[in-house]
Amino acid sequence: MRVVVVVAHPDTNSFNQAIASTATTALTESGHQVTVLDLYADDFRTAMSPDEWLAYHSDRPLLDPTAERHAEIVKRAEALVFVYPTWWSTMPAILKGWLERVMVPGVGFVFDDHHHVRRGLTHVRRVVGISTYGARWMYVKAVHDNGRRTLLRALRLNTATFTRRSWLGLYEMNTRTVEQRVAFLRRVDRKMRSL
Amino acid sequence: MNAYVVYCHPDPESFTAAVRERAVDALQTAGHQVRTSDLYADGFEPAMSLQERIDHLAPNTIQPDIAVYRSNLQWCDTLVFIYPTWWSGQPAMLTGWLDRVLVSGAAWDVARGGTSITAQLSNIRRLVAITSHGSSKILNVVEGENGRRVIGRAVRVLCHRFASTTWLALYNIDRSTADERTAFLDRVERRMQRLRSRATATADGRTS
Repeated sequence: MRVVVVVAHPDTNSFNQAIASTATTALTESGHQVTVLDLYADDFRTAMSPDEWLAYHSDRPLLDPTAERHAEIVKRAEALVFVYPTWWSTMPAILKGWLERVMVPGVGFVFDDHHHVRRGLTHVRRVVGISTYGARWMYVKAVHDNGRRTLLRALRLNTATFTRRSWLGLYEMNTRTVEQRVAFLRRVDRKMRSL
Repeated sequence: MNAYVVYCHPDPESFTAAVRERAVDALQTAGHQVRTSDLYADGFEPAMSLQERIDHLAPNTIQPDIAVYRSNLQWCDTLVFIYPTWWSGQPAMLTGWLDRVLVSGAAWDVARGGTSITAQLSNIRRLVAITSHGSSKILNVVEGENGRRVIGRAVRVLCHRFASTTWLALYNIDRSTADERTAFLDRVERRMQRLRSRATATADGRTS
């Protein structure tokens, strides 16, 4: 499968980066074609610009070369894997901005003649999210785990009918021991090999 | 009442801009003090930097560009968010504002080695969100109304224990008529004029 791994963490030494490289290795070794989009390393611009907003409903909504390159990669993807730390119950701004600026009309979805939204990612058959949380599992559930729902529901609705979804979360991140973190990386490895 | 309006939309000609104008006017007409931040006009940088990430558990390492937002947050008792809903949540600009402004020492504290946070914005007794959705109410419910939960749950945890939340949303805006949009603006105005200071409401035994 052609797999796109999207990573959103400013620190190259972070645990999230370790997750991303574990996932990438496992996917590559399983024979998948993997493209990593590291948003901070790519200097991806977070906020939609006023020009992009005005061009959103036009024939050419992609004005920025980086966003255009990412969109070309997404258009060929069969699986999307997201790796990010959860902040304020949702994804970091840079990843939210990626959804807004790359998943534009013609990529993430299309408008039909009646201006209804139709799916644009019917070539995507797997959506996987891997996230770290500072809070306990119970607390994450209580505040609604909004990043997870954005990817596994809002984005998922734009993919193929039988797209499978998976979620891997490491909770109480700040107090986890090295053994627990290594065990989580092993879980990531197993999940990616069974994709 | 001290109302702090955080407004986020790239286009000053947008419907969201009209909402902001009506809301701020109504709050001022009702005799409230209003401060406004326009994140696009401010040129706010929404992505948390590497240094900020490294410092995020060390209190009082506040970046200079967020000092004004921090002092407004500590000044207000009512916090109003006005934004369009994109991909079932706040625009990245506003998400980044939450990431970068609600930092330890300003909005919360965590005991060393702990996993739960202590709220530091107990001055905020009311949260208001005014937004518009391209899609229908039913689709937003299926998706989980994530933007609404970010404010009503994750941000609310930082505020006063009994803080109330007010939600005003226009669904299906892409297919709405001019009359529907005007009706929504009127609704925003009425609701903002009716907002009462919750501290006063408690003292007088009135409900707000």
